[in-house]
Amino acid sequence: MGKRRQQVRLVGLALAVALVAAACGGGNDEGGGSSGQTATPQKGGVLRTAISDFGFTNGFDPTGEYVAVAIGLYGAMERTLMGTKHIAGPPGNELVPDLATAPPEISSDGLKYTFKLKPGIKWAPPLTRDVTSKDVAYAFQRINAAPLVAQYGFWYYGTIKGMDGKAKSADEKVSGIETPDDQTIIFNLEKPTGDFQYRLSMPAAAPIPEEVAKCFKKAGDYGRYVMSNASYMIQGADKLDISSCDAMKPISGFDPSKSLTLVRNPNYDQATDDTRANYVDGITVSIDTNVDDIFSRVQAGDLDSSIADQPPKPVLQQYLTDSAKKPFLHSNSGDRTWYVTMNWATPPFDDLHVRKAANWVMDKAGILQAWGGSTFGDIATHNIPPIVLGGKLPASEYNPYPSEGNRGDEAKAKEEMKQSKYDSNKDGVCDAKECSNLVMINRNTPVFADSEAVVVSSLQKIGIKVKPRELASSAAYTTIQTVKNMIPIALNAGWGKDYADAVTFAIPLFDSRSIIPTGNTNYPLQGMTPDQAKTLGIPYPQGVTIPSVDADIDACQKIATDQPDQRNQCFADLDKKLMETAAPWVPYLWAKNITVTGNTVTKWEFDQFSGYLSYTQMAVNNNATVPS
Amino acid sequence: MWRYIVRRLLWVVVVLLVVTSITYIVFFVMPTTDPAVTFAGKNPTTEQIAEVRHQFGLDKPVPVQYALFIKHVFLGDQYGWPGLGFSYSTRSPVKDQFFGRVLVTVQLAFGAALIWLAIGIPIGILSAIRSRTFTDRASMGIALFFVAAPVFWLGLMGLWLFWFKLRWSPGTGYVAWGDSFTDWLAHMILPWVVLAMLYAAFYARMVRGNMIETMQQDYIRTARVKGLSESKVIFKHGLRASLTPVVTLIGLDLGALLGGAVITETVFNLQGVGQWAVNSVFQGDLPVVLAVTVVVAIAVTMMNLVVDIVYAYLDPRVRYN
Repeated sequence: MGKRRQQVRLVGLALAVALVAAACGGGNDEGGGSSGQTATPQKGGVLRTAISDFGFTNGFDPTGEYVAVAIGLYGAMERTLMGTKHIAGPPGNELVPDLATAPPEISSDGLKYTFKLKPGIKWAPPLTRDVTSKDVAYAFQRINAAPLVAQYGFWYYGTIKGMDGKAKSADEKVSGIETPDDQTIIFNLEKPTGDFQYRLSMPAAAPIPEEVAKCFKKAGDYGRYVMSNASYMIQGADKLDISSCDAMKPISGFDPSKSLTLVRNPNYDQATDDTRANYVDGITVSIDTNVDDIFSRVQAGDLDSSIADQPPKPVLQQYLTDSAKKPFLHSNSGDRTWYVTMNWATPPFDDLHVRKAANWVMDKAGILQAWGGSTFGDIATHNIPPIVLGGKLPASEYNPYPSEGNRGDEAKAKEEMKQSKYDSNKDGVCDAKECSNLVMINRNTPVFADSEAVVVSSLQKIGIKVKPRELASSAAYTTIQTVKNMIPIALNAGWGKDYADAVTFAIPLFDSRSIIPTGNTNYPLQGMTPDQAKTLGIPYPQGVTIPSVDADIDACQKIATDQPDQRNQCFADLDKKLMETAAPWVPYLWAKNITVTGNTVTKWEFDQFSGYLSYTQMAVNNNATVPS
Repeated sequence: MWRYIVRRLLWVVVVLLVVTSITYIVFFVMPTTDPAVTFAGKNPTTEQIAEVRHQFGLDKPVPVQYALFIKHVFLGDQYGWPGLGFSYSTRSPVKDQFFGRVLVTVQLAFGAALIWLAIGIPIGILSAIRSRTFTDRASMGIALFFVAAPVFWLGLMGLWLFWFKLRWSPGTGYVAWGDSFTDWLAHMILPWVVLAMLYAAFYARMVRGNMIETMQQDYIRTARVKGLSESKVIFKHGLRASLTPVVTLIGLDLGALLGGAVITETVFNLQGVGQWAVNSVFQGDLPVVLAVTVVVAIAVTMMNLVVDIVYAYLDPRVRYN
């Protein structure tokens, strides 16, 4: 799952799209041999993009919104105390002060963070006043308010003193946050939290003006009224009547079912910001339900870029094989792992040897082929992508279950299976009834359905016979996130970083304290205790102790992000431990995100933080104007 | 006649109750996706799920939720009448979105219907009166092609040819009538024609069959014997009888299309009711699903009523008393 919700498409239409797409682009060579990038990009124009569905999880209200598409847009609208440079690769994951003048002053015990705000940063009209520390504090009051349903509030609850997500409203102050003056904010923590500065870079932690947001007391309602303090604002925001709550009407430039238009914030001062270049005069994101049409429009010059939709295979093929088009195809790390998850609570996966055998036998190259090849990602050899580990554990250096061409090693898998209690005759093939009729949840969308046969046949080699059940994306997630469903194995699972720190994988996915009855993301139930099983109402596997890595996670969390090498090494060691002593998943793909741009784009950039194009670093030459 | 209409209108209420109760059972009693969990985000706390459940009104017993829904449909809710609720996804009243989208769908459906009638009926008549000639065979061959061709294929090919290659069409999307009439027309013509082709083919084949059968009736022969001109025989006597099944069909087709021509809307990026409903099903946005279901049920039953009334006008043999 992660930030990016999967889009659902009509299967028949998708097939047709794929077939006709090649024809649509065949005769139109828009490339001209270069991607149109110029050394000194010009300012002006409008960056015109489209998406098949915003997929907002909380109506674009920054307090609760959790979809990466929104997080990318917030990067152009909101400034956080610490931010990123909105560029590609590891440098795009590095934290830099944005709203803050400098990195925080941290107390020796790691429990107190003091930030100074840059002076002269103003809210866009109609507010047109300085951003103050109280605006930042108010954002945390919103995160703490139960009715506003902060979807990643867990990064702050139990971390900042006084935050537990149970406040009745955003009017209640957070005891652990002090604002001695308008330029200073102090966070008092419950425990040392090495990645705290990263947590402050998330959009929910960006300042929110109380005079506007106080009018919206339910989750998502503020999304139609979001006020900006960065370089762009929603078109028409300046017309918002803030004289009273009743007077406010949704800002005209945003219709969640149609489009979002951003224009320059007239109160923005470029001199206060060295993380945004802001070449374009405006940004339009329109909804186009026909995915093929998005790519046709990019080629026709009606759009400048795709965002989150992946090109149909024939379109992709054109771009990969036509040297004139190739420069317009951009494949960037999505900081995400796709994996097969196995449940410790359901035999035969309560046996480590079975889990390891599944890792040995999996034909990962076959799965990658089903996805469309290396443009879509790299074969994953462990759980946490190397880019999130600061470059540690690249696949070339660490692969605990290697095989020729990544096709799976049947011999090694059988050796492992022989040691399992489910292989009574020790022939390397599971012969127990527990290995038959295992329900495997999957999605009903193309790449997952295409991968299914590879996974089924791989597991069959060691006697594990699964019964795939394909569901729509959200239904598939709901099914495996409900612990009582006791789903033995699932192919639909993926996880993307929230921010570039391995803790965003470790805590939600492997920490036993994250296990909850519904909405659970620790799918293997790693570290679950017999007491927890009892509370959850499921049986605990007999004769087994599910290994826990909670203490390892806590140890890594004590290392602050300003010691990145040690911190990343700690999480790399944790990942190795998981792979070798628990094998919670069969990780198969470290995904890449694909973007297609048109020849109107004079500067292309990818925002590693959001995982999509960088709105503030891209430049266009299209003479377009913001639609009225 | 009036008693019949009132009786049928009461039936609309019954149909509505049956359809909504089935929809409720499908989406609430046998859910595959729990909207509260979906919308509570990643790793939600129990409190967060409970809060979302409360905000969505899902913490009430299902019968109570259903009763409230029906009450709001008939009496209105805080967003006015009819009360169609609040979208989980867009955090805005369903009613506002619905009326914005249904306008697009109505334009698509009625525009296409005019075209398919204008094409289908004359071709059907021509084929019937020139039965077994080259004209008949060519017409029916073309009709067969369009019946067999999927709408999405026609749509994508139409876009490829008229937009991508010839640049005659401005491409996909919708421009409101009020913004620019010419842009509106330019954006709607291709979707109308594509949607109409399938139906025109069906209608041509049906009219041809009916017409051939009608033209062999005794009263047609009698009309000819009495010396009426052939055009009068065809259009006054033959066509009228042949059109009654067409009326039935167009009523049902238009009613169904008001629920959205999903494929056409999706291919041409028209923000209509159909693709909105489909997306809402997948996203678990139940108020939208319910709203569309209710309105489509009303549209289909009302169109049926209109069809029955028109029937009485066209066919004197039909009596309602």
